[in-house]
Amino acid sequence: MSLLDWNDLAEVALKRVVASGAEYGDIRLLDSTTQTIRGEDRRIASIRETQDRGFGIRVLYHGAWGFAASSVLSLEEAPRVADLAIEIAKGSASLVIQKVKLADEPVHRDRIVTAQRIDPFAVALENKTALLLETMEYVHRQPGIVRSSANLWARRDRKLFVSTEGSRLEFDLLAVNGDFDATALHDGRFASRSFNTPHLRMGYELIEDANFLAEAPRIASQAVEKVKAATIEPGLYDLVLDPEHLSLTMHESCGHPSELDRALGYEANYAGTSFLTTEKRGAFRYGSPHVNLVADNREPETLAATGYDDDGVACQQWDIVRDGIFVGYCTNREVAPKIGETRSRGSNRADSWGSVPIVRIANIGLEPGTATLDELLADVKRGIYIEGHGSYSIDQRRYNFQFGGDAFWMIENGKRTRMVRDVVYHGITPEFWGSCDGVADRSHRRRYGFITCGKGQPGQSGWMTHPASHARFRNVHVIGGQAGS
Amino acid sequence: MSTTGHKTWPKLTSREEFRFIAELVLKHSTGDHTLVSLHDQQSGTTRFANNQIVQNVDTRRGSLSVTVAFGRRHGTASTTDFTAGAVQETVARATQIAHLSPDDPEYLPPAEPQQYLTPPTTRAETAAAGPARRLEYANEAIGQCRIENLGAAGIVSSSIATVGVAASTGLFAHEERTDARFSLTVQAGEATGWGAAAHRSIDHLRVQERTLTAINKAKRGLEVRELPPGRYTVILEPAAVAGLWSSLLWTLDAKSYEKGTSALSGKLSQPIVDKRLTLRNLPAHEDLLGIGFTADGLPTVASDWIAEGALTQLSYDRFTAKVRGIDTIPTLDAPCLSGTGPSLPTLHELIKHTERAILVTNFWYIRTVNPTDLTLTGMTRDGTFLVENGAIVSAVKNFRFHESPLQVFNRIAAFTHPAEAITSETGKLLVPAMTLLNFNFSSVTRF
Repeated sequence: MSLLDWNDLAEVALKRVVASGAEYGDIRLLDSTTQTIRGEDRRIASIRETQDRGFGIRVLYHGAWGFAASSVLSLEEAPRVADLAIEIAKGSASLVIQKVKLADEPVHRDRIVTAQRIDPFAVALENKTALLLETMEYVHRQPGIVRSSANLWARRDRKLFVSTEGSRLEFDLLAVNGDFDATALHDGRFASRSFNTPHLRMGYELIEDANFLAEAPRIASQAVEKVKAATIEPGLYDLVLDPEHLSLTMHESCGHPSELDRALGYEANYAGTSFLTTEKRGAFRYGSPHVNLVADNREPETLAATGYDDDGVACQQWDIVRDGIFVGYCTNREVAPKIGETRSRGSNRADSWGSVPIVRIANIGLEPGTATLDELLADVKRGIYIEGHGSYSIDQRRYNFQFGGDAFWMIENGKRTRMVRDVVYHGITPEFWGSCDGVADRSHRRRYGFITCGKGQPGQSGWMTHPASHARFRNVHVIGGQAGS
Repeated sequence: MSTTGHKTWPKLTSREEFRFIAELVLKHSTGDHTLVSLHDQQSGTTRFANNQIVQNVDTRRGSLSVTVAFGRRHGTASTTDFTAGAVQETVARATQIAHLSPDDPEYLPPAEPQQYLTPPTTRAETAAAGPARRLEYANEAIGQCRIENLGAAGIVSSSIATVGVAASTGLFAHEERTDARFSLTVQAGEATGWGAAAHRSIDHLRVQERTLTAINKAKRGLEVRELPPGRYTVILEPAAVAGLWSSLLWTLDAKSYEKGTSALSGKLSQPIVDKRLTLRNLPAHEDLLGIGFTADGLPTVASDWIAEGALTQLSYDRFTAKVRGIDTIPTLDAPCLSGTGPSLPTLHELIKHTERAILVTNFWYIRTVNPTDLTLTGMTRDGTFLVENGAIVSAVKNFRFHESPLQVFNRIAAFTHPAEAITSETGKLLVPAMTLLNFNFSSVTRF
């Protein structure tokens, strides 16, 4: 269907919604193309291009929601789906206790396009597969490597959002990512080391600038070093965490508890609730004064910087934690008024045309401090430096967490020394962030994020970026990651 | 809204319609081999929290995937648009990808035509269920909680899908699959109780019974004690057992086994769990979610995976199976774990025969900590209790655990008959509730 036809479909659907007496309705039409190239053990295991088109209609009737969606993009299907969304909303309204009242938002008419230097879909497929094959060859040159993988991923979303309030938003969004890993075998054990570009909204230049071939020998060598490394003696250690690692720590222990729908109980049956309950806003000490966590859905190239969310609310920047005090939530138009806020923070996103938008973590990042990485390390007598993502687990209110990592080095008398393996650390969220006594400066800032953040029933995958510089934490409980530890 | 006769227009892709589409694809494909896959689904979920509906959705999504191969070069394209032009364009994209792909040394042509079992994958009552039926069940759960002045959060979902695989080899498979689910978290202040079900038949969700179970757990949680971390005897309800077993099932991959990158490497035919345990695949079992064929179009089969505690089977991709000379690839779509020898009939009996233990309703956020020995971590959730002298005496604050199923399922003190188990993080299994010794709880959380 052309954009012209999309306009017709939207008009047909929303006329139906307005005629039903609903107080609000919107439609999202989406055409997503995803290219995934997967390499495994020196071969290209699959190349897949997925085209996913459809539309979803959301209706608010007498204070209750209904949503219906279809992959059949036709003028005949639009009234059926609109009527079904209305019927469902009427059913929801029969059990309503507290009517949904949406926070006001100005009417927007806009077009958002991801800036790119190189269109990832225009890059020759042979060049992409050659890069992955060569990367895996480089990895396997290292003695001790038994397995490898290398992957490229690109997505284009063309979207039209139209609401009964008059907003009309067009999107042409891109996102790109690449990664590879190496697995080493030694003495009956195996260990992997990985290299990931962040997922960012930009073109194929992200992959070209990452220079896989230069990184591959280092990653392979470190995989072998890791599998042969000594295990850690459990105890209290100072930790210095790299930006990629911190992206996950922030995501799980700050991002999720700052989702207001969780704090209000919407996710109680699945993702969970939040220890950051509403009475804590503005008063609760979440971390040390070094900890400033800022949501910024306006920073170019980051995943949640889409111009507008799926409520049609303009992307914004705001504080989640300021000087260690919890001050703000991620919200949408439905939940913002429940804590007295007059405008949504613009964090309502759906993962496809077939999903209803829900509150999502924003691009929450740790504000840079003033130290250099060397200065952070210099003040550690016995500690561990952690890079990348490993195992992670956290309770459903986001208090008790545990994180591993991708690579670990001892810090001894202010210097990063030998590699160690099987490190996991655990703690209670506010105690952990309370132990942060230093954040590196802006020159160390990197932007990693996720496209697989699971939430909602049916499950959806959220996208967001978590920028950070290195940070230091004192006296954290570290255990060895073996059975019975 | 009426509670019956939900409109299912437009119809999902029937067997005849899929055959027509597949023939269209095969006609336009110039590849040496072509594989066509269909997944066409109408699904709906009514989600509630704080005793009212917060989401109520219904989605129809059809997807068609085409893989084209020239020699050992292959490419795949998919579309949600089933019009003739879009289907042809999808074939063209898959063809273009295949032409530009390097040789894949592990590529195999699609399977030849197969004979399939016809497991009970579809139930008419689920196919007919729509938003009204889902709302009815949601209302039932919410109503019971309101009477008790408790909070209800949960979902009722139902779906019907048609799934198909066809290939240039003459392979053809098509079946209808239904799925219905209910899960509920009851909130009593800080305390929570949980129950869940999944079944082909929406009539088998037992909403009232599971709601009462969740309510009772939440009410028992009002008085909560904090116990120190350490090693405890535990009674794991079926959902908690299923959580640990799901992680074990993921490690059965044959290729990882052969490369030495599996916790099970070298353990084929060796005992890995208590010798009383047997794991079977039972696609025809009415209470499991067995299917007739895999994504490759291969038939599912009843098979033994663990016999008397010993690992007897691995999960093979087609290439590894061919290298190993395995003609019939075993599937694990409908796992059933059972124990031989003396067992107790119910969880209640298990509790009654226990002097002191921690009763675990469910685990949450289970992740592998160490893939070499399959050490897992995770949290207890939605009903963790202290059992003393055959009875629950109080709720306890939730624990984090560190355990390997390869160790802990060698420390079984008692077990029940297999029961249905489903969690938000696992597929459906039949597993016993179990009493396990020396279970390692490594830390405690704040609630």
